[in-house]
Parts: sequence; structure tokens; C-alpha cells
Amino acid sequence: MATNSQELQNLVNYGLVKAHVAMGLVFFIIVATMGFLYSLQLDDIYPFVGIEFLSPGRVRMIHTAGAAYGFLVNMFTGLLYWAVPRFTGYRILSDKLGWFMFFALQAAVLITVIGVLFLGMADNVEWGETPWWLDPIIVFWLLLHLMQFGAPLFKASQRGPLYVAGWYISAMLVWTPLVVFMGNMIPRFWAVGSGAGAVQSTFIHDLVGLYVTPVAWGLMYYFVPVIMKKPMWSHGLSLLGFWGLAFFYPMNGVHHFLWSPIPMFAQYSAVFATVAVEFAVTSVLINFMMTLRGSAEQLKYNVPLRYMYTGAIFYWITCFQCAFHVTLTFQKVIHFTDWVTGHAHLIMFGTFGLWVLGMAEYIWPRLFRKETMYSKGLSEGAYWLLMIGVLSMFFDLTAGGLVQGFDWIGLNPWIDSVNFSKPFWYFRSIAGIMMITGLLMYALNFWKTATAKTGLSAELRTET
Amino acid sequence: MGKMERFAFVALVAGILFFLFADFISWALPMFVLKDIPKKSVEDLAAEAISRNSTAWSDFKKLARYYPETFKKFCQYEESFSGAKKIPESECKPNGKTLAKALRIGHRWYVAEGCWNCHSQMVRPVSNETLRFGIPGVSNTVSYPSEYNNELQAPVLWGTKRVGPDLIREAAVHNVGWQAAHLYNPKYTSPGTNMPPYPWYYTKDSKGNIVPNERGLSLLTYIMWLGSWEVKPPKDFRINVKASNSAKVKENTEKNFAEAK
Ligand code: HEC
Ligand code: HEM
Repeated sequence: MATNSQELQNLVNYGLVKAHVAMGLVFFIIVATMGFLYSLQLDDIYPFVGIEFLSPGRVRMIHTAGAAYGFLVNMFTGLLYWAVPRFTGYRILSDKLGWFMFFALQAAVLITVIGVLFLGMADNVEWGETPWWLDPIIVFWLLLHLMQFGAPLFKASQRGPLYVAGWYISAMLVWTPLVVFMGNMIPRFWAVGSGAGAVQSTFIHDLVGLYVTPVAWGLMYYFVPVIMKKPMWSHGLSLLGFWGLAFFYPMNGVHHFLWSPIPMFAQYSAVFATVAVEFAVTSVLINFMMTLRGSAEQLKYNVPLRYMYTGAIFYWITCFQCAFHVTLTFQKVIHFTDWVTGHAHLIMFGTFGLWVLGMAEYIWPRLFRKETMYSKGLSEGAYWLLMIGVLSMFFDLTAGGLVQGFDWIGLNPWIDSVNFSKPFWYFRSIAGIMMITGLLMYALNFWKTATAKTGLSAELRTET
Repeated sequence: MGKMERFAFVALVAGILFFLFADFISWALPMFVLKDIPKKSVEDLAAEAISRNSTAWSDFKKLARYYPETFKKFCQYEESFSGAKKIPESECKPNGKTLAKALRIGHRWYVAEGCWNCHSQMVRPVSNETLRFGIPGVSNTVSYPSEYNNELQAPVLWGTKRVGPDLIREAAVHNVGWQAAHLYNPKYTSPGTNMPPYPWYYTKDSKGNIVPNERGLSLLTYIMWLGSWEVKPPKDFRINVKASNSAKVKENTEKNFAEAK
């Protein structure tokens, strides 16, 4: 990929990238703070007792819905505005549309926050807590999103085969509006009971599997070779990974409701498809690890690349874990416990969170025509705090989940399981403080880089 | 191979075909299998509770008797989000209409408060759950599809996380008085709990007692309804706190109210 020539700069709308990434970061911090607040409720030291709009249950819905729409959608859209024109060679459909979509997205998030916190209009679809009347608007937004990024991808594929990143992103553009429509509209207006449960579980999983995962892998396939200045190791594995994911991932959903009244054949097929996904994921991982071969020393000083590979390893851990706990045997113990929450954070924060942070840190100085980030110290400090924070949270919640699961089976009074979990919950709050501190350092570094008067120049580092 | 790497092919095959196939297996087919179970509206549920004289119905009548002032205001209460409408004075007594209205409002705030983030509504056939939830020996049923086929389970409230116990058999466990005190401040009935207090579902009546307000009354009705179709607890089985305006509860709730402030 070419240098930062005038041509490339005309290709990418820098303003849109900056706006989305900055808002994504702001929401990341807000969302993490909401999670932290809720964790204080579990510790039983919630600071805002008796204030209706800060009711912990409502705060938790902002945590999950905000993570989806405020943080992830903003970040990914910003990164797509950078990556898609660059690897296709075509501009997005329209800059005006881009700005309209930017403000519409922030408005949708704001309306959700007001609706959930102040008006009590939440929807009991996890990850789709947005008030139901907002959901058609979100679907419409996603259709615009399809046109905006579909245009350059479509044009490029007229000329020849698309690059791997293009497959993931094309598929994601089509999936996402379908998923949001399905998950929010069908359980409200058509399906009820177990049928609705099956739809909702498909939604929970598809929003992760058919939006977050493909867009993130697509971006990884773009950024990793660009940063390392070499192609991916195997094109065959890229194909295998993509088609394996595309086929098996959408069938995973029902594994969120195993042992439920959903007919068993759907549960078994979900278990089977989930185990199959692990193989697809492993093929992708092998591809990335083999690409790293010979360049691993870059991880020492290249923080963005390190974020990406840390996330990739966490991804594999999560999927490996999943192949076990998806079985009906594990489910007896770990379902409904903090084990699942640990799993959710390892993938959402540990993988996708770290990935977008790495990608954003890579493009941020370039957006402001600086050669490097403002402070190496802040950059390293943030990485270690975030990485250690999320990993310790994961181990903590996994252990806590086992304690809860076995305690419930043991038929002890319920309050025992609450008391036994308290140490784990306290520890999680401490890990949360680490992560929020890391995020604040990261944001400070961004702010300083953007506002630095003189061009920051990259110092040459020799290997040590 | 070249074709597999084009926008149109990916969008059509992966984006649409695979997606539809997966949806077919994951939920369209299960829905088809379950399609003969009738779908009940909230009015049906209320009528059923009355005709079977379940605890949901007797507890609703109790709520109306304990909190007459609130019940009057409750009839006047309107909400466009849950579709709850005013009920004329002549019909303002426990009946199918008022019970359905209370269930609607109660369900709406149960969802809005995120109770489902801490409480599941599903008893699984494993992990001794049938022994833990419901009444051992009297009713130890696993959750089954038809009990969810109603308007209040769309979207379904199974939940994914338990901090507190499952609630789908709650009707058998505690009586109205316990629930009223617990929702106001869970620490009163359950020392050491980390369930948050919900004082905004309460108000003071003309005598200065703390009583549930319109939303509180509905939420309590909803909680007392959960599982009432399945279990009829033996007399005096449920964990019992005397009617909520009794002196003891009042004293305790007021003490706790002062703490909350
Ligand atoms: C932070 C998590 C949390 C939230 C949110 C929460 N609860 Fe609870 N709930 C608990 C815990 C823990 C217990 C068990 C200890 C106790 O009795 O308080 C419990 C117990 C209960 C019980 C008694 C169950 C039994 O059989 O012992 C009911 C009923 C209940 N909650 C209703 C609600 C309602 C209604 C809401 C929403 C307005 C709600 N809870 C929100 C944590 C929570
Ligand atoms: C400082 C960082 C964070 C803290 C302290 C935190 C804390 C929490 C807490 C307390 C819960 C509730 C778990 C429960 O119900 O018991 C939760 C749930 C959740 N959080 Fe976070 N969170 C953080 C960051 C994030 C981020 C960045 C994301 C997404 C990108 C995220 C995604 C989720 C999801 C998906 C759930 C639902 C999990 C489940 O249902 O088990 N969290 N978080």
C-alpha cells in the first residue's frame, strides 16, 4: 500500500474518521464507567442508592447497549472510513451522507440513554435494549451504512477479486441490518415465548458473530499486513476461515439458551455449529501467527501491533473455552454464572476492545499528520493496564462463576452464593479501575497528540 | 475461485443464503414445531387467573384491599408505552380488566428496571433447579414451552445471568407483605443481599404509611403472578410477612427509608 500521498489523502475523508474514532473513545470510557458502577452494586457499595434514573439495572443496560452502539459501532465505522477507501481505491458513496450518519448515530445513542435511564423504555433483548421504536431507525441507518461502504467495495470488485478484508466487510454490511431487524422486531411483533427466545439468542450471537466479528477480522486483515509490510501467510486459510465462519457462525445462537424449552434439535445443532466455529477460528489464527513469523520482534516496540496480537490470542482463548462450555455438561454448572460474564469481557474488551484501540492508535497520528503518538510512556502504560486488567478480570470471573455454579447445585441458601461471590466481585471492581485508568491514559495521549503544536517526530529505536 | 471473491457473490451467498439457512434451523423450525400452542394475550392471562382462582388473583385482591388509596389512583393511571388505559370508577375494583392492566404496567417496569439482568425466569431440568425453585414435592416442574406463550414473554424474559434466584415460580415462595417490604428495601427481609432498593415505587398515604404507588402495586402484582399458573402453595406455606401496613413492617421500612436518605 502506497505512501501518504496527496492521492491517498483525497481518498479518505479524515474528518469522518476523526469524529467517529473520537466519539467511540468517549463512549468507551462512558461505557466502562457504567460497567464499573454496576459492579459497585454487586459489591453492595453502590453510591447512588434511591435515585430512580441511576437505578443499577438501568445503568447495566446502558453498559451493554452503549458498548454495542456507542462504542463499537462508532469505532468500527471510523476505522472503515479509513480502511475501505484505502484498500479498494475508491471513495465512499458520499461525504454528506457520512456526516448525516455520524450525527444520526450519536442521536440514536443519546435517545437510547434518555429512553432507558429516564423514561423506562428499555427492551428486554440483551444487547438490543434500545427502545423498540428506535429499532427501525437503526435498521435504516444500517442500510445507509451498507450503501456508504458497499459502493467502493462494489466498484472495486468490478475490476477484479476483492481482498480478504473486502469479503468480511461486504458480508457484514449485508448481515447487520438483517440481524438487527430480526432480533428486535420479530420477538416483539411476531414470535413469543420459546420461539422469541430462539430469535433473541440468535440475535445476541449474531450481533457479535455477524457484525462485530467480521468487521473486526476484516480490519485486522487490512491493518496487520499494512503494519508489518508483508502479505498474509496463506490465502487458502483466509478463504477457509471466512467461509467457515460465514456458514457456521449464524447457527450458533441457541447455545445461549441450552437446557431451555427450545426444542432440543435446535440446541444440538447450535452446539455442533459452535464446535465447528472453533476450527474456522483456529485456521484464521494460524494464518495470523504464521504471518507474524520472522517479524515478532516488532511486538516489542510497535504498540498497535501488540494490541492486535494480544487481542488475537485472547480471541483464541475465548473460542477454545467456548468449545468446552458450550457442551451440555459444562452448561449445568456455568450457565447463569459469572463465568459467562468473564467470557463476554474477554472477547468484547480483551479482543475487540484491544483491537480497535490498536487500530485507532495506528491511524491517529497519521490523521493529524504527526509521525508518532505524543507519549510513548502513556501508550505503553495504557496497554499494560488494559491487558492485565482484562485478563485478571477474566480469571477472577471464571473462578467466581465456578463457585456460584457449584454452590447453586449444592442447594445452599441463595444468600450464601451472594456472600461467596463478594470477594470475586470486589476484585472485578479493582480490575475495572485498572481498565478505566488505562483508558483515560490512552485518551489523554490521543488528546495530546491531536493538539500538539509541533509535528511529533518518530525517534529511531535500535533494537535492544 | 475468483468469483468467490466478488462483492455480489459474498453478499448473496454468505450475506443472505447462509443467514437465511441458519435462521431457518435456529428459530424458524423451532417456531414451527411449537406453532400449535395458543398465544395468550394479557387479558387471557388475567381471565385464566380468575377462573382458576390462582394465587395471582387472590393476591391481587389482597393488594387492592391493603392499599385502597393506591388502587384508586391506579385506575386513573395511564401509560402509552405499555398501553395501559384509564379505568372508569364504576369498574375500579379487582376484575379482569384491572388485573390485566396491572400485569401490563408491572411487566413494563420489570423490564425497564433491568430486573431480568439479575433474575432469570427459567427452571432448567438440571443442577437441582427443580428442587430449589418452586415447592419441592408439590410442584417441581421444569419450565415448559406453553407457559411462555403469552404477550408478556415477547421478548422472552429467560435472562442470561443470575445474581438473585430464578423468579418463574416465585408465587409459591413469598406472600404479598414480604414482597412489598422486600422491593422497598431488600435488606429488611434479606440481610446481606445486594439487590438494590426501589423506593420510587412507594409513596405515603394519607395516614403517613409508606405504601406502594401505582407502578409499585402493578410490579407487585406481576411478581406475585409469576408461576401462579403452575403452583398452588399449601396454606401458610409461603414465607410470610404480615400485611405491609402492619406496625412492624412500617417501623422497619421507615427506618430503612431514613437510611436510604
Ligand atoms: C443487582 C442484582 C439485582 C437486581 C437488579 C434485582 N434483584 Fe431481586 N434479588 C437479588 C438478589 C441477590 C436476591 C436474593 C436475596 C434477597 O432475597 O434479596 C434477590 C431476590 C429477589 C426476590 C426474592 C426471590 C426469592 O425467591 O427469594 C424477588 C421477588 C426479587 N428479587 C425481585 C426483583 C425485582 C422485581 C427486581 C427489579 C425491580 C429485582 N429483583 C432486581 C438481586 C437483584
Ligand atoms: C472497565 C471496564 C468494564 C467493567 C468494570 C465492566 C463491568 C460489567 C459488569 C459489572 C457487568 C454485569 C455482569 C453481571 O450481570 O453480573 C457487565 C456486563 C457486560 N459487559 Fe462489561 N464492563 C466493562 C467493560 C466492557 C466493555 C468495554 C464491553 C464491550 C465492548 C463490555 C461488555 C459487556 C457485556 C456484553 C456484558 C453482558 C455479559 C453477560 O450477560 O454476562 N463490558 N460488565
